[in-house]
Amino acid sequence: MKKSLILPFVGLAILAICTYFFINKSEKENKKNIALPSLLFETEDFYDKKTLNQKDLGKFYIVNFFASWCKPCLAEHPLLMELQSKGIKIIGINFRDDEENFVQWINEHGNPFFHIIRDDGSIAYEMGLIGVPETFFIEDSEIQKKVQGPLFYEDIEKYL
Amino acid sequence: MKILKSIYNLFFVIFFSLFINIALANVNQLNDYYKTIRCLVCEGQSIQESDTEFAINLKEQIQKKYDSGMDLKTINQELINIYGEEISFNPSNNHFILWFLPLLILVIIFFLVRNKYRKN
Repeated sequence: MKKSLILPFVGLAILAICTYFFINKSEKENKKNIALPSLLFETEDFYDKKTLNQKDLGKFYIVNFFASWCKPCLAEHPLLMELQSKGIKIIGINFRDDEENFVQWINEHGNPFFHIIRDDGSIAYEMGLIGVPETFFIEDSEIQKKVQGPLFYEDIEKYL
Repeated sequence: MKILKSIYNLFFVIFFSLFINIALANVNQLNDYYKTIRCLVCEGQSIQESDTEFAINLKEQIQKKYDSGMDLKTINQELINIYGEEISFNPSNNHFILWFLPLLILVIIFFLVRNKYRKN
């Protein structure tokens, strides 16, 4: 190899190594952020006043943040109903909502949730919520996928 | 008796102003801190300026933690752990790749161009 070509190759090698470590580091950082808060299992269901038991949830379940004031939540609601009809358990977290409006919304549109929690924002904070709706797909107590914004059929078809 | 009453009034005024000063200092400290936290919905704004539900909730949660005795450094670290570094307007200094990558690319281009011209 020509001597003059060595330096650019060394530079490119450094670039490749840096990029590899940078990508690796961000992947690790992303994984570190993902955790299910204990508050999720300590907060009572709005209707039956029972707390969640992880054994009842099974291997795979969904956590969905919604609110009655959120229009995109209404758009994804039929998909949640479909998921529920296929036996998938969904934990609904009602984010910073008025109780009366929330009850009316559930009565009007149906209840696809296995467990409903009314959240003042604490669970949302712990789970790194940016806005509603937001959905977390959980397998073996670990968040596998997070969908920000309303769910589309493509997001759930593999679970149906 | 009159003197005692005056002393009592003076102490009351001093303690009241001290209390107000401390409360205001805490509010100012929190407001300054909010300015360093990015609203992830309207990214150009801090949560201090933003009126989104995300910003309002974040301010409430920070306030709760601050009132429970958590210091701002710990709160900041917790926020970064949850939302990543993009939540802060003051990122850490360990992004050397970001700063040196353009320089490295320029050096590589320089040597590649030089080699080509030398050949010619």
